[in-house]
Amino acid sequence: MAVEERLVGELPWIEKYRPKTLDEMVDQEEVVRTLKNILQTKQVPHMLFAGPPGTGKTASAHAFARELYGPNYLTEGLFVEINASDERGIQTIREKVKMYARSVPFGPIGFRILLLDESDQLTDDAQHAFRRTMEQFSATCRFILVANYSNRIIEPIQSRCAVLRFRPLPRDKVIEHLGKIAKNEGLNISSAALEAIYDFSEGDMRKSINILQAAASISRDVDEKTIYQVIGYVSRGEVRRLLELGLSGKISEARDLLRELLYLQGVAPSDLLTAIYREVGQLDISEEDKVEILDALGEADFRIAEGGTPEIQILALVSKLARKMRKTR
Amino acid sequence: MIPWTEKYRPKRVSEVVGNKEAVESFLSWAKQWSAGKPSKKAALLYGPAGVGKTSLVLAYANENGLDVVEVNASDFRTAEKVEQIVGLASQQATITGLRKRIILVDEVDGLAGKEDVGGVSALLKVITNTRVPIVLVANNPWDQRLAGLREKAQLIEFKRIHKATVVSHLKKICAAEGLKCSDEVLKEIADRSNGDLRSAINDLQAIAATGTISRETLNVLGYRLRDREIFSALAAAFNAKSVRDGRLALEGLDMDLQSFYQWVFDNTPEQISDIDALAEALERLARADMHLQRTTRLQRWGLMKYVTPLITTGVAAAKHKAPTKFAKFSFPSKIRFMSNTRNDREMRERIATKIAAKCHLSTSKAWREILPFIAFIFSHNGAKARGMAKFFDFDKSEVSYLSSGLKSSKK
Repeated sequence: MAVEERLVGELPWIEKYRPKTLDEMVDQEEVVRTLKNILQTKQVPHMLFAGPPGTGKTASAHAFARELYGPNYLTEGLFVEINASDERGIQTIREKVKMYARSVPFGPIGFRILLLDESDQLTDDAQHAFRRTMEQFSATCRFILVANYSNRIIEPIQSRCAVLRFRPLPRDKVIEHLGKIAKNEGLNISSAALEAIYDFSEGDMRKSINILQAAASISRDVDEKTIYQVIGYVSRGEVRRLLELGLSGKISEARDLLRELLYLQGVAPSDLLTAIYREVGQLDISEEDKVEILDALGEADFRIAEGGTPEIQILALVSKLARKMRKTR
Repeated sequence: MIPWTEKYRPKRVSEVVGNKEAVESFLSWAKQWSAGKPSKKAALLYGPAGVGKTSLVLAYANENGLDVVEVNASDFRTAEKVEQIVGLASQQATITGLRKRIILVDEVDGLAGKEDVGGVSALLKVITNTRVPIVLVANNPWDQRLAGLREKAQLIEFKRIHKATVVSHLKKICAAEGLKCSDEVLKEIADRSNGDLRSAINDLQAIAATGTISRETLNVLGYRLRDREIFSALAAAFNAKSVRDGRLALEGLDMDLQSFYQWVFDNTPEQISDIDALAEALERLARADMHLQRTTRLQRWGLMKYVTPLITTGVAAAKHKAPTKFAKFSFPSKIRFMSNTRNDREMRERIATKIAAKCHLSTSKAWREILPFIAFIFSHNGAKARGMAKFFDFDKSEVSYLSSGLKSSKK
């Protein structure tokens, strides 16, 4: 057991196995190469890290900062994380940026790095305001914006950033990495179990490692069944159930489940829409009807982005689906 | 029996609950008057119902020994009436021997709805010539016909009272009345009041009258006592045959549009059983949601007027496309859901915040992506759970919540 662990308790493995250096990153060779080049020249631009969840965006930013500033990059306030979805509005973010960016830090590198995580959660207006902040403080501060979708970042910001794309992690790389962790933790894991993890997590390393650690809490011997036990616990197929309720016309029950998902489980509306998008293809309706439903889905997506209430917009969408289904029968 | 809203009405300005900023700006306006040189002769206090607009004026008058001439603007039929009542009062204060006075004109927004717009201009004239302070009170001052008044008056905005403030005020009343009432019930009353202190006090008194104060009494009694009005408004909304009907359905309803929207939205699936009609109604409600959100987000109050037709006449038209069955109206299930899950949500948020601090992600991401896995470990492996609790610095209640598989001790 690591010394650290005895002192602070059991670490979540996503922290314990977070890459400390760029060389420890899984996959993402191009991103790593670019970041290493930047380290050599010390000419750090504003950067936008875009890519699916769990592909190493935040992790590589930390690794980069550690290599740039040294091991105390966090405690010395040289690298600061701000989470767009936790801060109430752009005003709070600007205040925070101001606080850190006001002064030139000690040391050979004359700027701090501010990481704005989940920056695609900012509305367009907020992004425009943030763009001005970027300019105002660019002398003392470099920004790394992290986002799942770069198209949700307005062009003026994109054009001021070096855009680094993180690709979904390939199956073999994820399985190899999970295998290493399993070995280090003294687990006896079957290859079918590793495949099952990948099938569920679809290249999301954070999710994969979480599943592995949860499975390890039941037994040192991990097989497929153990993995399914974990998956069944964390994801009870609720999106499908939501659609089934909707499709059979049980709208008030669908509404209750929707509330459970949104307000209690904290499911992101955009994730719900993506899941519904996936299910539409499987529905037993005409192709033309599918087109119309996808159109309605796009409309709901847009309205939510515009500030519409997710519960209301999604329920209206589900009732449209139900209507199509009834026409078909 | 005197209503508690009167019994506990503030006697002094310092006793006015909440809205400190508004109180400050009112006092500085009043100070200008007592110095004899007001920059604006009238003040327009506006904001939702039951947040202390009138109470502030009465408390101020009481503290400073002023007579209050109270008039209700919706009583003004004509311009002559305005001059007769307000005009006279606004001149007499200078006669020696009389106590100083302040004029309080309530429900000024009622003037805007009247056909005889003469009322507004008459009131403007009175303000120009007045020798005593005039306070206008309105819920919604943004009607175009009130533009002139907005210019002439010092605008002072009142906001909804913070929930915690409502709770602590209710506690004081309980103490004064010698009532035992759990925090939970007070919180629930405050929740329902939606920042309207008057209605919260009314609810408390109504419940106290039943003898037992518990969550159950609240559920059975509270809603009915207060919401008789809203049920008839709902019935009118779901049956509105014209845009005008829709508007009339809401007239006189002491509730903001956002809350009324929730009532309509939550009752719609029960009211409309035909799926075609229901889909149509929900789409109209979804459109109305956009208008509402834009209204508040862009602060464009003019957009508000597009909401009512959609959520009344629009929903009613959809409903009547198919045979309907009878269904009772009920209290918004959303509000009930949120209050039933409050403990749960607070607990999850606390835990997620602690996870977020250690795992480099946002609270919301920790909530949906990490928390379920942590709960899995906690409910399957006590030893690892203890280790993790140490790492994340979870307290006892958080540990037991996680170990029970995210089931809160109370439902």
